[in-house]
Amino acid sequence: MITSGFSQTPEPYKKKVLESTEIQSLFSYYAQQGVHGAVGGGLGSEELVNTTPTIVVTVPLNEDVVLTVDSGISTYTSASSSNINPFMSVGVLGTQAKANSTSEVGLSRPQTWAASGASSSNNTGSNLVTMPIGTPWFASSGASRKDALKHISASISESSDDRNTIKSAELYASTEYDYQSFGFGAGWARLFNEKNTEISLKAKVYLDQWYPIYPTELHEYGLYGTDFLNRGYFNGVNVLNQDGQTTNAYLPSQFTEWKNSNRSSGTFSLSFSQILSRRIQVSLSTDVVYQTGLLSTPYHRIYFKDRPNYYIGDASFIDVYDTTKNFGVFRLADDIERLPESRVKIPIGGRLNMYVNDWLTLRSFYRYYFDDWGIQAQTASLEMPIKLSMNWTVYPSFRYYEQSAAEYFKPFGEHLSTQQFYTSDYDLSSFTSSQLGFGISYKDIFTNIKAFGFGLKNVDFRFQHYYRSDGLESIIYGIGVKFVQ
Amino acid sequence: MKIKGLLVAIVFLASLSSCTVLKEYEKVYVNDEEMLLSSRSLERFEMTFQIYREAAAGANGGKTGGGCGCN
Repeated sequence: MITSGFSQTPEPYKKKVLESTEIQSLFSYYAQQGVHGAVGGGLGSEELVNTTPTIVVTVPLNEDVVLTVDSGISTYTSASSSNINPFMSVGVLGTQAKANSTSEVGLSRPQTWAASGASSSNNTGSNLVTMPIGTPWFASSGASRKDALKHISASISESSDDRNTIKSAELYASTEYDYQSFGFGAGWARLFNEKNTEISLKAKVYLDQWYPIYPTELHEYGLYGTDFLNRGYFNGVNVLNQDGQTTNAYLPSQFTEWKNSNRSSGTFSLSFSQILSRRIQVSLSTDVVYQTGLLSTPYHRIYFKDRPNYYIGDASFIDVYDTTKNFGVFRLADDIERLPESRVKIPIGGRLNMYVNDWLTLRSFYRYYFDDWGIQAQTASLEMPIKLSMNWTVYPSFRYYEQSAAEYFKPFGEHLSTQQFYTSDYDLSSFTSSQLGFGISYKDIFTNIKAFGFGLKNVDFRFQHYYRSDGLESIIYGIGVKFVQ
Repeated sequence: MKIKGLLVAIVFLASLSSCTVLKEYEKVYVNDEEMLLSSRSLERFEMTFQIYREAAAGANGGKTGGGCGCN
């Protein structure tokens, strides 16, 4: 027994890929405003606020294998999506003049409206009425004004003994009120040339499922057919024509509900990175993305140029419908956005990082993108991390982006009913955007600050301001704290 | 033309592997944390809203459209 013990060859020491468990807590706050809400057919408020707390836990399972679990909840409130059902039936005292109207949409309107005989479904007093009103310019109180996307992903990677080959696999799942996603993927990376060169391949598949919700007026038409104005929501509600007169001619006959509510996405990625010198390294990446299924958003309204206009609400606002002075009328949709059921997207991107000196680094990124919907885009960004000390780094950054419009895009009310595909979503329009911001990073080199047995590794703060040439503007800030065991 | 351009770029970058080969002890600068050829962890949130607000996505390690109601 003793002899056999001495005859064993000791295992060579192998450094762990990851020394100890890391926990990263991330939080972001995003707020935007704009005037081209896609739910309003390319017109209306795009006000949106989103917060996303996220936890990422990375655990070394042994010397070679690392497990990462990433989970979070992205919660938003949105004026645009609230207007899937823009109509609010409110009881109001009809003594306030519309001139006094504020962001409390429709809570004030002229006495004459109640007296005119317009739909007064629950007149409980001399001047208290309930009537449906709406506007694309403000949020309604509909349930769709808020939602939460909950996600979890787990990935595992294994490095070879010589650390030159890395294999990985991942799973992903997320759920929203009207959307669910399940994804999986695998990757392979190889380092060679004394780890100066790396090539990696990755494949991912998402199998997504819409649970479509449609704009209220189209939902009712889909439910009750041609008699829908006398049933359900529209029963007792007045529809107005362009002149403000009551009519029963509104018939969105082009609308049909989507038969297929699946969306599948497959991505194949190829990356190559190379050290060029002691201070410069570059990478080139390309993805080939194929999507199929329901690629339209079921609650994006469309208004045709060759169809009459119909409204619900206060007729006195029809003339100012497309301005923010419209506090009380909403135009009824002719259809929803229709986009092809397949799309191929090819982005090609490159990074070049340069270590200028001990206090300054340059990080640059460029991407060219094209797809078979006719969009071409370019992205360029530059970040300049400046080391203020061993612990502190600040990094100002600038990003520029431009894209051409999708073949199927036209602004509010410009599409023809004879077209096969149409959208008024300005995310698919032609625009440029610029993003300016900065970040601050604190690194606790000796992990002196402890909490629950974990030492603080770093704290990051990042702020960005985004401006799009169609008027959409947003800010985002994020905070990240990483602890190590 | 686009495919040809992509192939030229790949061949060009592949030829870069003949550049100076650095030993591990020479990589102090390229191993600096700021030199990582990937986006920062906090950038994931920006990439998410960019996927919604812009048509282009991908080639940066982020998502390319799956997993959310965006295109």
